Amino acid sequence: MENISGKEVDAADSDARLSEKELTLSMGPQHPATHGVLRLVLDLSGETIVKCTPYVGYLHRGVEKLAENRNYMQIIPLTDRLDYIASMANNIGYCVAVEKLFGIKVPERTEYIRTIVGEMARITNHLLWLATHALDIGAMTVFLYCFREREKILDLFERLCGARLTVSYPRIGGLKNDVDDQWLEDLYKFTEEFPGRVEQYETLIDKNRIWLRRTKGVGVISAEDAINWGLSGPALRGSGVSYDIRKISSYGVYDKVKWQVCIGKNGDIYDRYRVRMDEFRESNSIIRQCIEKIPKGPIMADAPKFTLPAKDKVLSDMEHLIHHFVLITKGPQTAPEGELYVATEVPKGELGFFFVSDGTGRPYRMRIRSPSFVHISALPAICEGELVADVIANIGSIDIVLGECDR
Amino acid sequence: MTANEFIKKVFFIEILKGLALTLRHFFTPSVTRQYPTEKREPFPGSRGLHALVRDPETGREKCVGCGLCAAMCPSQCIHIYTSEDDDHKKVVDRYEVEVLRCVYCAFCVEACPYGAIVLTDHFEYSGYSREELYYTKDRLLHNWDKYMANSKGREYLEKFWRPKSEDFGVPAAGHHQAEGKKAT
Ligand code: SF4
Ligand code: SF4
Repeated sequence: MENISGKEVDAADSDARLSEKELTLSMGPQHPATHGVLRLVLDLSGETIVKCTPYVGYLHRGVEKLAENRNYMQIIPLTDRLDYIASMANNIGYCVAVEKLFGIKVPERTEYIRTIVGEMARITNHLLWLATHALDIGAMTVFLYCFREREKILDLFERLCGARLTVSYPRIGGLKNDVDDQWLEDLYKFTEEFPGRVEQYETLIDKNRIWLRRTKGVGVISAEDAINWGLSGPALRGSGVSYDIRKISSYGVYDKVKWQVCIGKNGDIYDRYRVRMDEFRESNSIIRQCIEKIPKGPIMADAPKFTLPAKDKVLSDMEHLIHHFVLITKGPQTAPEGELYVATEVPKGELGFFFVSDGTGRPYRMRIRSPSFVHISALPAICEGELVADVIANIGSIDIVLGECDR
Repeated sequence: MTANEFIKKVFFIEILKGLALTLRHFFTPSVTRQYPTEKREPFPGSRGLHALVRDPETGREKCVGCGLCAAMCPSQCIHIYTSEDDDHKKVVDRYEVEVLRCVYCAFCVEACPYGAIVLTDHFEYSGYSREELYYTKDRLLHNWDKYMANSKGREYLEKFWRPKSEDFGVPAAGHHQAEGKKAT
């Protein structure tokens, strides 16, 4: 055996030196496949990962601390910036939690609209997930096709509330504005063609042998591990655990429409992918049923202590005007004291808001339980012992977004 | 492995199917837009640059300087300075929006009891310095003339200045009957 300079070296000696040390590889924080600013330090032995250590916090903006200095209404735009891919779902989760704290019951029409836009958020999230995950593994076309459909939903969001990504659409006790019939009709048209589009993605990758090799049997999480690590959402359901907060909690109108929890079996990347593909269809059918059933009626709850008064009354009625001033400058003054945790099912898993309220217009403490943070904590266990090339597929398959993880 | 599966494997059937799909897309109309040259109209109510409403009667701003928008703004980027004139009326000396810090939540619109501030649908603005993106009262009034001219501003306030009585399912103040029926 020769080395570069052409000198004879002892083969055994060289082997010993080669396996002497593990290679430490720092992946990220600026890496296109880490889905944000996640840094992983990988200890490699050959191509096998011996140790994987995630470092988070590069995107920390102090949302929880900021919330302590904002009244309950002003926090809504902050929640947009948690999981910015599906900000609508965060807004809804936040508003549902605050409504529970205040004891507000929102009108039925609002529940329907929230369910519709929440499921639209799920579709946009899974579209972006599929797009980037496929791109990470090497399928470029899926990426472009997914963005085509995502654009349509974002346009619908813009028509609805004026923004495409950071929507801030739900309000405490209601919504920013009502939907009109034309909008519902156009959404219905979208839901008619969308299942065909999902089929297109499946044509491209579902049976594709490269895709299968990269995903089947890779990154396996057993059901027991998934529960122990606290995974939620498709990452948990891919392992065959039938757990969906939409089924067991009472927000939205999920109990009034027909749908089922999509679960996988083996807990590998392929099953998690299948769960999300099935959720496309379920979400689509939930939206359709909601549009068919949506009742007419008010969209704001009758909770004058917590919602802004009607604009046409503010200038004609002294009481309303004073109330308007107090709500905006100080926040609701009759918030009950106590602690409360409310979780909702956002596209990535269980998003929970924990409030400590001291009865003032601002939360004394707000804590966010974000699915991405929990999922990243499970990453070392998934990656260790696997190949370095699969790290990217593993990161993709648990669907993380760093805005939500670092908060 | 059945014969069928064998054939599928050898002839790359699933890959050919995928390629056929992408080939078909060659002949469908393109969905992309060449952005700077081809522009899409923003939808009404799209949240872009701010404008201060010009009162058609006085020709001045409608804003009375109550400061509610500044109090509501989650990023605290509205600055208002007021003083008193000779007949003890409040006048707005300066009304400034730091556009670079704004998050376009439109909460200022919602907070204003007078309907004196709106978000226009203009979104293409940039500058070489921070000062260029510091919108003073005059510039904000100019925005109104430029982007919300004619009935556009009125329509915006009608549709997006919320909540209104009908959102609560009660008749609007003033003209109850007609509006009330529509709402329920
Ligand atoms: S849109 Fe929101 S962030 Fe911007 S000035 Fe208005 S309230 Fe402040
Ligand atoms: S824009 Fe409206 S809320 Fe802001 S100071 Fe003027 S009148 Fe008050």
